[in-house]
Amino acid sequence: MVLADLGRKLNAALSSLSRAPVVDEKVIDATLKEVCAALLESDVNVKLVASLRAKVKTKVKASLDVSEKVKDANRKNIVQKSLFDELVHLVDPGVEPYKPVKGKANVIMAVGLQGNGKTTTCTKLAVYYQKRGFKSCIVCADTFRAGAFDQTRQSATKAKVAYFGSYTETDPVAIAAQGVAKFKKERFDVIIVDTSGRHKQESELFQEMVQIGEAVKPNMTVLILDASIGQAAEAQSRAFKDSADFGAIIVTKMDGHAKGGGAISAVAATKTPIIFLGTGEHLTDLDRFSPQPFISKLLGLGDMQGLMEH
Amino acid sequence: LGSLFARFTGSKVLTEEDLKPVLEAMKQHLMKKNVAKDISEKVCEGVGEGLVGKKIGGLQTISAAVRVALSNSITRILTPKTSTDLLLSIRTKLNSPLPSKQQRLPYSMTFVGVNGVGKSTNLSKVAFWLIQNGLRVLIAACDTFRSGAVEQLRVHVRNLSMLGVNGAADSKGRVELFERGYGKDAAAIAKEAITYAKDHDFDVVLIDTAGRMQDNEPLMRALAKLVAVNNPDKILFVGEALVGNEAVDQLTKFDRALRDFSAASGGAGKGRGIDGMLVTKWDTVDDKVGAALSMTYVTGQPIIFVGTGQTYTDLRQLRVANVVQAILSD
Ligand SMILES: Nc1nc2c(ncn2[C@@H]2O[C@H](COP(=O)(O)OP(=O)(O)OP(=O)(O)O)[C@@H](O)[C@H]2O)c(=O)[nH]1
Ligand SMILES: Nc1nc2c(ncn2[C@@H]2O[C@H](COP(=O)(O)OP(=O)(O)OP(=O)(O)O)[C@@H](O)[C@H]2O)c(=O)[nH]1
Ligand SMILES: [Mg+2]
Ligand SMILES: [Mg+2]
Repeated sequence: MVLADLGRKLNAALSSLSRAPVVDEKVIDATLKEVCAALLESDVNVKLVASLRAKVKTKVKASLDVSEKVKDANRKNIVQKSLFDELVHLVDPGVEPYKPVKGKANVIMAVGLQGNGKTTTCTKLAVYYQKRGFKSCIVCADTFRAGAFDQTRQSATKAKVAYFGSYTETDPVAIAAQGVAKFKKERFDVIIVDTSGRHKQESELFQEMVQIGEAVKPNMTVLILDASIGQAAEAQSRAFKDSADFGAIIVTKMDGHAKGGGAISAVAATKTPIIFLGTGEHLTDLDRFSPQPFISKLLGLGDMQGLMEH
Repeated sequence: LGSLFARFTGSKVLTEEDLKPVLEAMKQHLMKKNVAKDISEKVCEGVGEGLVGKKIGGLQTISAAVRVALSNSITRILTPKTSTDLLLSIRTKLNSPLPSKQQRLPYSMTFVGVNGVGKSTNLSKVAFWLIQNGLRVLIAACDTFRSGAVEQLRVHVRNLSMLGVNGAADSKGRVELFERGYGKDAAAIAKEAITYAKDHDFDVVLIDTAGRMQDNEPLMRALAKLVAVNNPDKILFVGEALVGNEAVDQLTKFDRALRDFSAASGGAGKGRGIDGMLVTKWDTVDDKVGAALSMTYVTGQPIIFVGTGQTYTDLRQLRVANVVQAILSD
């Protein structure tokens, strides 16, 4: 993903920084340019990259002004540290996501743009929790997309997970409420509600999402986001946050070539953590993601080690 | 953007130095509009090269000169170099004289692309449009992998059959689904479908395929086989307006994999690549329509359709002037 890739590029940039005999504005600019180019290629929001650059520059500027007193080595550290802090800031909002509890009904609702992988991810989540001893099930509250219930039915059957839906009911709010009530009565631990794809430009679709939310009262709403999304990521994810107040993000299609910078921008815009990465079309293609271990791993790379001490 | 353009007014010969900050701002602007980084750089480079040494003076400001040059450049990239009149190419094929005894082949079109971009939905919109134009359409369900893929098309065919055409109460008989269930070889099903269409007087066969990642070699080989075996009249790449820098990689690799792998597997359609694009989810990006520019820059192929929503009538022709305006707007 974008950070793993960045880890490498950052390393390259920082090692040329550490080879530089003097650390002046030119050297710092070159380092920043390299890092920012990598971010932009990965679809991180353009404004976000510009502000990262500005913040790092402000932080290191002070050390440049007192050029006589601050040693080059020290200055390198300041550059590295502030760059690193800003990058961590991007991916780690410092918020703990909801953790399902056994022995009670944990309702999880999936929302997101069209075709981003909600239905597929719902089954993957059910499989994930089922494996860990949670009695899991799926409610198909997508009455819009052609073949939506067949998709859920077939994939849930393959995964040996209970499911609920209807071929005749056209009101997604009613189905969601019925399904969740039924599974609560049957004492399921994890109840996952799949919804139709939607986008901020259609307010009726957003209203419908709010109504489904009110009907099922999710413990956690998850935004499912495609790793290939570009500059629309910020506005769309903000709008979903305002209406659905999701508490976690799952980035799908990370098995492709995409770096997921759009998803990182969504994290930054909504202060919401990524909890899983989707890594394929099969039922078990789901990797846990938490920012802290990820960043530590990133730190383990070569020159990054030194930064741990700060 | 405007303030930077305005900095260099007056009469002078433009130098690289003058242009550098302006072009940098322009590049940033294009990226904000969701043009891929690479493409933004190349477009700006081109604009810069065209302007260096030009004399700017009199009533013309640098601001205007750069804007015009950028607008021209984007317009040139987006303007189709081959015909986008699909109906014309269908009718041309259907009406061309045949040697006696030889049966007429239907016009066939394959929809390809990565996962979830809108291939099946927009295939159904194209079917609707063709039916409205009096053509008989067979839809071939060649996504034999994704759960519900066949049923999704079945629902669309049922819906399309119930819509009236030219005064008739419904369009029964004008559209049909050809399917062989799941887990089968897509290339073989497509072939059967084309034969079935030929025997049953269908004018057009629309071939739906499973979504796949451009780096997934086995799946790309399977797609190339479908193309090589069936040699469709048009290979349409479906991409979404939401896609960022990946637009470049997706198109480059789909085109290359189709050409390379289909050449290796022989058949009438060997060496074929992407013939055109369908850009979906146009309604979800406001004025950040830069993906259209990235896609046409990479392939040099035209955008045949734009998908603007989730109903059958949400299919448009690309309006180059409107796209240019959206990309340039602040
Ligand atoms: N390669 C890959 N494909 C994925 C992944 N997750 C989902 N997909 C594919 O993406 C496509 C769309 O997935 P869906 O689950 O139908 O998406 P959705 O968000 O439910 O779509 P709508 O309900 O129409 O909004 C399908 O072809 C899935 O197989 C992933 O992690 N990797
Ligand atoms: N807003 C909007 N949604 C669209 C458009 N085109 C397709 N969609 C939606 O995108 C989602 C995915 O569409 P599909 O047609 O299933 O995509 P696909 O490429 O066939 O997906 P796979 O076969 O799983 O790879 C559906 O929810 C569609 O309704 C469009 O132009 N605008
Ligand atoms: Mg779905
Ligand atoms: Mg499909």
